[in-house]
Amino acid sequence: MQDNTTEQELNERLTLIESMIAEGRRNTESWGWTFVLWGVAYYVALAWSEWGHTAWAWPATMLVAVIVTVVVASLKGSDHPETTLGRAIGSIWIALGVSMFVLFLALGLSGRLTDQHLFLAVVAAILGMANGASGLILRWKIQFACAVVWWVAAVAACFGSDTQSTIVFVVAIFLCQIAFGIYGAIAEAQERKRSAPIHA
Amino acid sequence: MPDLPELNPVVHGRLRLALLSLLSGVEEAEFTWLRAKTEATDGNLGAQLLKLEEAGYVAVEKKFVSRKPQTVYRISEAGRQALTEYVEALKQLLGAAIHA
Repeated sequence: MQDNTTEQELNERLTLIESMIAEGRRNTESWGWTFVLWGVAYYVALAWSEWGHTAWAWPATMLVAVIVTVVVASLKGSDHPETTLGRAIGSIWIALGVSMFVLFLALGLSGRLTDQHLFLAVVAAILGMANGASGLILRWKIQFACAVVWWVAAVAACFGSDTQSTIVFVVAIFLCQIAFGIYGAIAEAQERKRSAPIHA
Repeated sequence: MPDLPELNPVVHGRLRLALLSLLSGVEEAEFTWLRAKTEATDGNLGAQLLKLEEAGYVAVEKKFVSRKPQTVYRISEAGRQALTEYVEALKQLLGAAIHA
């Protein structure tokens, strides 16, 4: 066979292999919208618990956010391939969602969710853990910076006054959910443009 | 001069080579995703995937997701080995061409 194969053809085959392997590993999933959605959900829950004075503000808002996330994700559909990396990141966020939901629902129902500082510190620390793990796995400095912001918010919730810890938490939501989510959505759209089909 | 390696004819086909390379970078992929990445027609893609399946280089799984049929492909160990050997053979041939 090689008698009929020119050097240029051989090089083309190598280039094809490289480009296709890179294509398979390219992540074209879009999850930026979930960060924005959950950022808005946190704002709604904070405002509702602040002015509505009900223990149901957080569990109810989080439940609605879970339902909206699942419905929108299933409507968007997905035919992109499964990768180990994608499953690892997805697992972290699913585990985070389940942990937060179970913990805060139980704390709310048992009446032990009374210390606002402790609540904000735990939420911020858990979000810092998930963002930190994702940022390290993906080697994505911006997401790791979000983790640092959450960890700062967790410490601020322990030492700051009610107002200070709430302000830091609100700022962290804006930076790490709203701004980061919009940035992620834009980056994902650009990535999808770049990964237009390659003739094979 | 050492004997030059033979290129595996099953892997050498351009579309089959692209498919094996794509599948080597993922755990599994759907038919529609492979079609989008290669821009091949349904018929041609199906035929080339069948050849890879018959050679034992890819495994196929047909399932229903939300009542829609879904065909999922994954590269087998034999397929990964064949691709690795093909790349090695390509490099040897290129080396020989450069030194000729």
